[in-house]
Amino acid sequence: MNAPAAEVSDDALLVLYANGDSRAAAELTARLGSRVFGVAMRVMGIRAEAEDVTQEAMLRLWKMAPEWRPGEAQVSTWLYRVAMNLCIDRKRRARGGYVDLDVVPEPPDPARSAAEALQEGARQDALQAALMQLPERQRQAVVLRHLEELSNPEIAGIMDISVEAVESLTARGKRALAAALAGRREELGYNDG
Amino acid sequence: MMADTDKALQELDDLFAVARSEPPALPDRLNAAILADAVRAQAGFQAAAPAQAPRQPLWRELIEALGGWPALGGLAAASAAGLWIGVAPPSFVPDPMALAGYEDSSTAVPYDSYDMAVVLSEDLQ
Repeated sequence: MNAPAAEVSDDALLVLYANGDSRAAAELTARLGSRVFGVAMRVMGIRAEAEDVTQEAMLRLWKMAPEWRPGEAQVSTWLYRVAMNLCIDRKRRARGGYVDLDVVPEPPDPARSAAEALQEGARQDALQAALMQLPERQRQAVVLRHLEELSNPEIAGIMDISVEAVESLTARGKRALAAALAGRREELGYNDG
Repeated sequence: MMADTDKALQELDDLFAVARSEPPALPDRLNAAILADAVRAQAGFQAAAPAQAPRQPLWRELIEALGGWPALGGLAAASAAGLWIGVAPPSFVPDPMALAGYEDSSTAVPYDSYDMAVVLSEDLQ
């Protein structure tokens, strides 16, 4: 692999991996593994679950590599789709279809000052808690749109629904989040001014 | 009311922006586990690759076991020469029948011995 890694597409990296290039796996993991983990964290709400989903999704990517046909789809789209389905499967298996409202919040970033960290940490915890109250598909659509900044057509491909359905899910999800957070404005340090 | 909604949506967008700016890092342990899976899966591709090669017919495997077409040509020539020497041995080659103690049928000892035995028996009568 002579070209700088940044110039090599995910597609090409996956083909290199299938052909025995050991560095391609590390590059793909750095590019895609962390993104899948971030989405899984937001959708599952529990670190251990997100880690399992990420490892399983990446394992399926490795196993699928020899059959991958470059140019037909984006590797990231395929991987997000696998990860989202794994999230849904785990939620259904674990809770019989009910969404768990008691999520374990992420610890605040220790690099910030204590006061800032507490407030921002509390706000991010509130965001995560509000996300976990959304129906499963709404939560996925909101996370992919507003945290991963994917386009609506790409989200439609990942979730196997129409673009209009994505727009509807994200709009309803965002309104529900805003409503959930509005009741906690004072607690979260927002001023009315 | 409308202003409250707009404010809430704006605050939500700000929260999204903060969340985007601080994506969770892939834990080292998970990164290592993913790469270990990748190595295992890759080893499986390489182990499976020879099995996908087309199998050769048995006759071709036999020819290759004997040393390929040149060796097979030599073997055929040697076999033909051996057969010919057996059927029509050259003069300088000893007769294998003679070496084995047999002679032509016209001078067969058992036949002579039989005649002599008959003559002797007739003389005795």
